[in-house]
Parts: sequence; C-alpha cells; structure tokens
Amino acid sequence: MINTGVKKELSMTAELEKNLGKKRANLSPYLYIGPHLILFAIFFLFPTLYGIYISFTNWDLIGTPEFVGFANYKEILFNQDSTFYDQLRNGLGNTFKFVLFTVPACIIVPLLLAAGLNTKPKGLKFFQALFYMPTLFSVSAVMIVFSMLFSVSFGPINHYLNVETNWLATQPYAWITLVIVTIWWTIGANMIIYQAALNGISKDLYEAAAIDGANSIQKFFRITLPSIRAQLLYTVVITTIAQFNIYGQPLMLTKGGPTSSTTVLLMYIQKNAFGSGNSIAGIGSAMAVILGLCIMVVSAIQFFFLRQRD
Amino acid sequence: MKKKAVVLFSILFVIMMALSGCSSSSSSSSASTKNEILYWNPFTGPDGENMKQIVNDYNKTNPKFKVKNVSIAENDMYAKIPTVVNSGNGIPDVTIVHAERIKQFVDNGILTAYDDLLADYPEIKAENYVPAGWNIGDLEGSRYSVPLDVHSFVMYYNKDLLQKYAPHALDDNVITFDEIRAAGELSQKDKITGIGITWTRPIFLSIYHQLGGDITSDGKTPTLDTPEAKKALELLKGLVDDKIANKDGEDPGQLFKSGKAIFYPEGIWMQNGVKEAKKLNWGLTNFPQISPDKIVNWTSSHQFVMLKDKNRSTEKTKGVMDFLNYVREHSLPWAQAGQNPAALATLENPEYQQLPQSFLIKDPEMQKTLKIFDYKYNGFVVEEVDKLVGDAIYGKLAIDKGLKAAQKAVEDKIAANNKK
Repeated sequence: MINTGVKKELSMTAELEKNLGKKRANLSPYLYIGPHLILFAIFFLFPTLYGIYISFTNWDLIGTPEFVGFANYKEILFNQDSTFYDQLRNGLGNTFKFVLFTVPACIIVPLLLAAGLNTKPKGLKFFQALFYMPTLFSVSAVMIVFSMLFSVSFGPINHYLNVETNWLATQPYAWITLVIVTIWWTIGANMIIYQAALNGISKDLYEAAAIDGANSIQKFFRITLPSIRAQLLYTVVITTIAQFNIYGQPLMLTKGGPTSSTTVLLMYIQKNAFGSGNSIAGIGSAMAVILGLCIMVVSAIQFFFLRQRD
Repeated sequence: MKKKAVVLFSILFVIMMALSGCSSSSSSSSASTKNEILYWNPFTGPDGENMKQIVNDYNKTNPKFKVKNVSIAENDMYAKIPTVVNSGNGIPDVTIVHAERIKQFVDNGILTAYDDLLADYPEIKAENYVPAGWNIGDLEGSRYSVPLDVHSFVMYYNKDLLQKYAPHALDDNVITFDEIRAAGELSQKDKITGIGITWTRPIFLSIYHQLGGDITSDGKTPTLDTPEAKKALELLKGLVDDKIANKDGEDPGQLFKSGKAIFYPEGIWMQNGVKEAKKLNWGLTNFPQISPDKIVNWTSSHQFVMLKDKNRSTEKTKGVMDFLNYVREHSLPWAQAGQNPAALATLENPEYQQLPQSFLIKDPEMQKTLKIFDYKYNGFVVEEVDKLVGDAIYGKLAIDKGLKAAQKAVEDKIAANNKK
C-alpha cells in the first residue's frame, strides 16, 4: 500500500515536470510576439473592429451609437441623390487617380536611382544620403516648403521658368505638383530596398552575359529585374497601400481644390467624422471600410499577378 | 534561451506598464487633483502667452483653487472633448470654445449651465459685457457660457497708399466697395493691388449679411442658395475679374506687407503679423461695406464653458467662477494680444483705448455692427462655404451650381445627423 502510494507520487511529480516542460515550450513563442501582439491589439485590431462596428451605426461621438444595419452603406453606395454618394465617388475616384499617377513613378524612379548608385559612382554615400533624406521629413514640413516653391508670385519655380503658372489651384498643374512632391518625398524607402537587392545579385551572371554579348539594357531586363522580383513585389504592394492612404499632400498643398478635383477620400472621411460640425461618424466609418476593402482587393490582384510569373 | 526570453519579456512588460501607468496617472491626476482647476483652451499661437500671463497673475492672488492652463491645438481639442466627456476621465473644469459651437454642445447635453451660480457673482451679468458676446451663451432660458472676447474680421489699410488713391474714402469712417473699386482702378496702373482676398469665409459671410442674408432663416433650415448669396459672390467675382483684387494664388498678406496692396481684410488678431512689416504705415477700420448705412463686421467669440462632470465639487465650481470674475476685470493682457475683451471693465483702461482694435467696442453703436453667425449647424455651413467661395469668385465654378451643391450638402449632413 505504502509502496504503491509512493510510487504514485513519484510518477505524478515526473508527469508534473513533463507537463511543466511542455507548457514552457509552448509559452516561449508567445513571449517573443507578446509585446507586439499587445500593441497590435490595442492600436490596430481593436480600433479596426470598432471602426467596422461604427460603420453600421449612427453616431455623433457623444451619445450612444445606434445600430442601423447597412443604412450607411446604402446611402453612400446607392443613393444617387445623396451628397455622401457624390463624396464617395469623387473621393475614391481622386484617390485611384493619385495611385495611378504616383505608384509607377514611385517604383521606376527609385529603381533607376538605385541602379545608378549600384555602379558605385564617385560620391556614392553623398548621393545615397541626399536621395534618402526627404523620406525623413514630416509631411507638413515638406508641404510647406513645396507650397513656397510653387507659389505663384514669390515662388522660385515660376521665377526661373519665367511663367505665372498657378501650380496649386488650377488643373492639370495641381495633379502634376502633387505627383512631383510625392515622388520626391518617397524616393528613399524604395531606393534603399532596391540597392540592397541589387547588391545581392551575383556578378557572375553579368560576366557570363557580357561574354555572351549582352548589352546593358538586355542585362537590366534579363538579369537585374528577374533577380529582384521579390523586392519589386514587396515595394509595389507596400507603395500602393501607402498611396491609397493619401491625405497630407492634397490637404496642405491644394486644399482639395480646384473644385474638389484633388479632394481624396480620406479628406471626406475626416471632415465627416471630425469636421467643424456635429460628427457623422457612421458615414465616415463606412467610407473608411470601403477604402480598406479597395486596398485589400487591389493588393490581392497585384499579389496574384506578380506571383503568376514565378 | 528561455530564461533570456522571460527576462526580456518581463523588462518590456515593466516598461509598458510603467509607460501606460504614467499616462493614466497623469491624466487622472490632472482631473482629480483637489485644489486645481483644469483649464483647456485652444490658444497655441502667440496669444497663448498672453493667456498664460493672465492665469499666472490669477494664481499669484493665492486663490483657493489654482488654475492649470492647458493649451491644445484647436482641432485636437474639439476631437478630445467627446472622448473625455464619454469616458468621464480628465474632463476639464473650464474650457474655452468658439461661440459657434455652443448651440451644438447644448444640444448634445454636455454643458453645465451657470444659472444657479450667478447669484453669488452679481457682476457677471449682461450689462458688463459686449452684447454680441454675452447673448451667445443664453439658450433656452439658461446661461451656458461667459464670453472672454469678441474677435472681429475687419480691414487693415496702407495709410500712404490710401492717401494717394482714395484720400476721402475714410471721411465717413466707412470704406465702401465702390470706393475700393475706384481706388483699385487708379492703383492698377502702378501695379498696386486694390484689395486682398484673404480668408474667404468671413469675407463672404459679411457681405452676405450686409445684403440681408443669413445662414439660417429660422435657426433650423440652412439658407445658402439664395439671391443674396449669389449677389455677394458676384460682387467678389467682379473685383477679381476687374483685377481690383489679387490674382488667384497670390499671397495677399505678402502683397500688403510689402506695400503692394491698399486694403487687406483680416482679423484683428492678425496685428502681430502686420506689425512685422516695420516700414508699413497701416491703419485699422471696419470691414468694407456695400453702403455706409448698415455696417457689418463678422465676429466670433471665445467663450468659457463648463463641460458636465459628475465629480466636480461645488467648491471647485466656485473656484471656476472666481477665475471668470477675475478675468472679467483683468482682460488687458488679452487685449494686448490683439483681441477685444468681451468684458466692458477693460474698456475704461486708457491703455486699452490706445489699441487700434478698440474702435469696435468704444462706441456702443459700433458694438451693434458685430455679427456672430450663430447657428446650430454652423460647422456644416462653413465647411461648404470654405469649399465654395474661392472656386466661385476665381471663375472655376459656376455660382448657381456651387450654391445649389452647398445648400444640398448642408441639408444632407443635417439629415444624416438627425437620423437617430
């Protein structure tokens, strides 16, 4: 009796130890991702879910949200008489335009610069720093500088071109200005990625190609581009998402004008939810959800196409 | 490895707890500290220094409750108010808000009325304040705010250029649009701009009201698409078309400060900016008028309100009243920031009477020209006005079409807001 009891106890401790060991092994991955997981939940997951919930309600930020089902979505998607329908159409249209205008340039220009820097010219570090620097500036600082540069009567650009173009308040110049500013501001991040990718391509490939008689353009399209496809995919997706969230540039430079032709969706969302009048948070959130869906769909399409070529 | 992870994680955890602990304790302490009045205001510009001076001077009088001055950028402050009111944490004891917001706040039920408190403070009464500023806080028979100032949108002029191009325009103390037109036509030849198109919202609203229009007919319905609004926009468009006003995109402030514009409509609060131009010989007068018989100066007002807070003690509320009563008598620093104090006690101060903007208050007749556009849905209206006016007067948007769209947008926003 006593013996068996002791035996039992012994085996239990052994089991306990085993269990403890298992638990520890299971816990450690969570310890690593824990801090991020907490921050992710507080600052991303919870606000996102709450935002989606708000899009199904009427809420002025002060009272209690009142559930209205899909009424907000019906209003902005199908009620053609509604101001909010026009806002969504115009805002989303302008956002898509902006993405179409900027994303190709935001890929090509940094790629060319990186390719140039990859030839290790004199002053490599200097140019690298120079091209990367704009990325470090805040959007407001950049926009203030550019609104001075593009100013009608006192701006150096008009002075040196010897014209009186109203860059910020007439089309198509307003779009041109926005695109130029955005490219200048965002060159750095993509360029660094491309530089690293280009550095990783084996020199042997180029030497073999040179022996086979390939010129530099052929080398670029046959060796360079395929070798950095993964990085290209990444930057295309990331840049597209970033440009969909366009807000600061038109807000500060063109103020959405002329005649709302550069008012992007985020500006309408902000005005509806946090404008100077009572808040219409439900409609604002519904617009935000639609914008989010658009970004997801576009990213998925990009992923699909760039993956296909594998 | 595992040990390291545990150590690392616990360090991170401690830091995070410490950080979050800090933030929550500091915000709750500012609300619940027993002997401190938390005072929010949107004065983040240079005028914030003047407000700080008033608060410091008040704290030197050793009041029972000292005032803690917290200036938050306007947009952030208005975004924060619903958050703190909803959570019940960190609600300021007294807050400065713009006059146009008060109806909306009362409607939302987030303001405490001053009614019962005023009995102990007989000097906080209508007779001691500029009517335009005082009347705003009187809603449904209750008093919800006490005014700090009345700030008007008027007109600066270049004295030398006025002498040259319109020497008699100011003889009747009012510059009319006809006089501006005549002066601008003369000055064009010398490449001097007649008038600057600055902040289109008060410019349009002033003219609209001069013509007999207002942004609401009955306090409920918005009225933007009206013949008067059309006329107001046409008048401004005429000035642009005939090159009396500056070109689209030109900075009217730069033009005026470099002596290249005669008239510069701006707020009285912009004086410090104008003073920067040392060589400029400038004066301040009424906003330009269509006829000298009916003068309108667009005005807004900063008002003291108390957001509802269950935890605010009666004692502390009295402390707030003491502070407001002090500000009533000691508003001179605020006037020196370029504002017109709403409390008439400052009016007798000779130092105040020297200030250029005092012309709006000195004469009780002039006080009547101050027009605050007080409407529950003012916020919706001004968003549309801001979008409309610049495009309409610079010929990018047909006036009729623009007014119609603006009217519709305001109506739709009101409808969306009232759905519940």
